[in-house]
Amino acid sequence: MVEKFHDELKILKKDVIKMGNLAKEMLQKSVEALKDLDNEKAEWILSKKGIIADMDDDIEERTLRLITLYQPMASDMRQIACILKMITYLNRIGRYGKDIAKLVEEWGDKRHVKKLVSIPYMSVIVCNMIDDSINSFETNNISKFKDFSDRDDEVDELRYSIFRECLSYMMEDPKVITRCTNYIMVARYLERCADHACKMAEKIYYMVTGERVEIDHSEDTAKSSLKNGL
Amino acid sequence: MNKKKDIIKARDKQRGDLKIDNVNVHYGDNHAIKNVSMHIKEKSVTAFIGPSGCGKSTLLRCLNRMNDEIVGCKTNGTIYWGDTNILSREVDPVPLRRKVGMVFQKPNPFPKSIYDNIAYAPRIHGIRGKKQLDDIIKKSLKDAALFEEVGDRLGDSAMGLSGGQQQRLCIARTLAIEPEVILMDEPCSALDPIATAKIEDLINELKKKYTVIIVTHNMQQAARVSDYTGFFYLGKLIEYGKTTQIFESPKEELTENYMTGRFG
Repeated sequence: MVEKFHDELKILKKDVIKMGNLAKEMLQKSVEALKDLDNEKAEWILSKKGIIADMDDDIEERTLRLITLYQPMASDMRQIACILKMITYLNRIGRYGKDIAKLVEEWGDKRHVKKLVSIPYMSVIVCNMIDDSINSFETNNISKFKDFSDRDDEVDELRYSIFRECLSYMMEDPKVITRCTNYIMVARYLERCADHACKMAEKIYYMVTGERVEIDHSEDTAKSSLKNGL
Repeated sequence: MNKKKDIIKARDKQRGDLKIDNVNVHYGDNHAIKNVSMHIKEKSVTAFIGPSGCGKSTLLRCLNRMNDEIVGCKTNGTIYWGDTNILSREVDPVPLRRKVGMVFQKPNPFPKSIYDNIAYAPRIHGIRGKKQLDDIIKKSLKDAALFEEVGDRLGDSAMGLSGGQQQRLCIARTLAIEPEVILMDEPCSALDPIATAKIEDLINELKKKYTVIIVTHNMQQAARVSDYTGFFYLGKLIEYGKTTQIFESPKEELTENYMTGRFG
């Protein structure tokens, strides 16, 4: 009975990793599609929207089934709890990818206001954070979370600088307002994805150590900060 | 004349926590409990968990000296309850057991009426007045959450009650002599889920007035009802702490492996 539970948990974990890789790919490719205004790529992402939602439902259902049948405890329980939270974050990340792809689809004939640099750079940082979260989940190694807080700060700064930059373009030329608003939105999405990566890291940290920490300690909660912790 | 120390003589004084210190129990050559030390908090529920044969029931039985009845069983170490070492030869186990009641795995009512089951012990202790007995019986049944169900048929045989009701009757019987500690050795393992739920609710109520120590094989049950949990393995206390911590993130690998079903 217990072996069956652990077998199923293993399969579940693999599926979460699969889902994570898909979510990251959707986000990564959506920014590439935006950079090159590549409709084909955007279409590929939009075709995955249903798949990631189905994965979310399917994993959730199987996880709940395991809870009902086996009432897991200790590290098993923490793993189950982590999976349940992670799939929500991953689904969100995938959906942000979809939202960006949608912008590409509706972009029309207009070119970029200028060559995109900050947004793709931001995407690299965010996707690395997501990657590190998924890898840590797979290997139970939490050493990669050490600089998550700094990386998250960098993403926040990038978002702000993109916002300032777009603001000045819009003041100069009202014709770019639609495009610039889109850039601001994309930057916002990417910043949210970094937050999701941090949240996943917190859940994985809990899964591995049993301790609840906060990566970004600005929220003033009772949890200890990972910044000073690790 | 009994020269032994009567623990009840220090009457009306709340004795508080139980301090188990370096307790060893041998059944002949079998070293069943190895150097167990733990501090059991009063008015809380402490659960003992662990695989079969790990010594949890043996330790439980030390707390009211039930092991004295087993031939070849040797106990050493100290269990201080207030300022009395209850393992000391000078302590008379009979009054001790009055203060430390016990409920067993299988309900074991006497083949008597519900009333007589509960009145049995108070009568032995010299309470004869009808009114006084009636009050004790009513109060015990109420505390054991059984009064609503059997209050109108106290003269019926206890053997006619359902398993869950019988078990609650046994708890009521324990409560009739006003113990301070209640030991429960797998109190729900012979009961169906509904009766189990009732006993668990009852344990939650009991801890307001009594110190409850429960041995259970059902880890979910331990997680639900207890405030503190001790995990035993091969006669040793491996880990002891707050129940939430033990079940959420045990510190010891053995505990972890047991919880996640990797052995036991």
